[in-house]
Amino acid sequence: MSLFSFLGTLEIGFIYGLVAIGVYLTFRILDFPDLTVDGSFTLGAAVTATLIVMGVNVYLATLAGTLAAACAGLVTAWLNLRFDILHLLASILTMTALYTINLRVMGKPNVALIMEPTILTPFEGIFGLPDMYMRVIFVAICAIFGALLVAWFLKTQYGLAMRAVGSNKRMAQANGIVIKEKVYAGLAISNGLVGLAGALFAQTNGFADSTMGIGTIVVGLAAVIIGQSLFSSRSMYVIVMSCIVGSVLYRLAVSLALNADFIGFSTSDLNLITAVLVALALIFPKLRNEWKAKRAARNDT
Amino acid sequence: MICCKDLHVTFNRALPTEKLALRGIDLTIPSGEFVTVIGSNGAGKSTLLNTIAGDISTTKGKIFFGDRDVTKLPATERTADIARVFQDPLAGTCGDLTVEENMSLAYGRGKRGRLTLALNSKVRNIFREQLSRLNLGLEDRLESDMGLLSGGQRQSVSLLMSALQPSRILLLDEHTAALDPKTAALIMDISSQIIAEKQLTVMMVTHSMRQALDHGSRTIMLHEGKIIFDLSDNQRANYQVKDLLNLFAQARSDGEELDDDKLLLGS
Repeated sequence: MSLFSFLGTLEIGFIYGLVAIGVYLTFRILDFPDLTVDGSFTLGAAVTATLIVMGVNVYLATLAGTLAAACAGLVTAWLNLRFDILHLLASILTMTALYTINLRVMGKPNVALIMEPTILTPFEGIFGLPDMYMRVIFVAICAIFGALLVAWFLKTQYGLAMRAVGSNKRMAQANGIVIKEKVYAGLAISNGLVGLAGALFAQTNGFADSTMGIGTIVVGLAAVIIGQSLFSSRSMYVIVMSCIVGSVLYRLAVSLALNADFIGFSTSDLNLITAVLVALALIFPKLRNEWKAKRAARNDT
Repeated sequence: MICCKDLHVTFNRALPTEKLALRGIDLTIPSGEFVTVIGSNGAGKSTLLNTIAGDISTTKGKIFFGDRDVTKLPATERTADIARVFQDPLAGTCGDLTVEENMSLAYGRGKRGRLTLALNSKVRNIFREQLSRLNLGLEDRLESDMGLLSGGQRQSVSLLMSALQPSRILLLDEHTAALDPKTAALIMDISSQIIAEKQLTVMMVTHSMRQALDHGSRTIMLHEGKIIFDLSDNQRANYQVKDLLNLFAQARSDGEELDDDKLLLGS
């Protein structure tokens, strides 16, 4: 793997780290499997890219993309909470609707940002760093800052209440926690993070595309699962940070598999590699426990 | 303190599966009174408690806490007044959270969760001091997952949690039924201590007539959604379990077979 592609891999890994944190919030904290992210990743990118092309300030455009994605999360929560539509189904409906909405937002299947200013423009040439290093450092700081903020949030009274809602609704309610409010807030934060990732992706890669969000949920889940099978800790900071580590490792593994000539994979084999990696990450902790139990049994005799 | 007026609850209203769960409950419980609630399966005991707590909305009738009409108030807004302990030890606590996190949730019951850290050394000291009352050694396990504790330990912590915030009403729904006799006795002891110390108004549902007579100062029996008898303290003093059963039979003078209920209630 060349240095250039290695840095590119890191960059994508950090951006999808934000997606992984969003997925962790819904799947693990709220126990609300949310597939909206396939649409909200693109929505964040589409809104941001369109606004930048229209000449809006890049920070405002990024914020708008993030908020639009957060609203998509609210729609899914509303369908589930107000009308009792199964969470999985509610999120699939929103995701499907978003495909059309993203096309409408952009007015065409993709928007190029090559000649436009981006959130990275002010940092170009800073400390004499080449752009490819600067981009990795920028997205790494964004991802790590996001992780610290989310971990802190989950340790506050409000965040703790959100964790209680995902763990035991009856207990939460008996302690005065308004369940619906926490689900709305959780889905908005989760999709907002995913939308922010989409906005960063569009600006670092120079385009937004209507199909860029396909498979986002699988990548996010893969990152969460890989991260959590490697680190078992009670600390919120470690848990949330492990989502980012998982995301970077996932990207490195995929890129190694695709670049290793002796295996003979091509880019179109990506989905199979993803599925195998996720399966391995799921199998590994179970096998590890079985080995430990076996070794302990052998030591007893 | 608690006043129910002509309380009706109907499940699945206007559907073929319609069920009249409560049909006209009139009940006034003065402040500081400890009422035990008995009745056979399906009599409406849990429905009554859940309605007072606000989990179930009333079809007809009103509920007051003191002078305040709470009939339309959602469950979460009644939690400033009400603490609860459930039958299932797993229901009252979050298994995925640590002991201290669970206690912190109860410590903030009825208040808005703020964006400030939930745990600090001050609240940890309060939790440790409370847990040491149980003599179960839990004060050294603040950071353990709740899921690692036994059912009895979890129920003990639930009970402590119900008393962390000042409340006026405590609702106990068969909170010792799922425990072994020794643990059940311990939990009942701690309950009595907390109730006396905080001078709470209590409703305790129980399947055991013995427990119903031994605790509190008043016993009511529900049958098919109505109160069929209501024994105050001085009336109750001379009653044995068999007297209760006789009373039950008299009250149901419609001549139904009692054998099933004897099996259920005699224990």
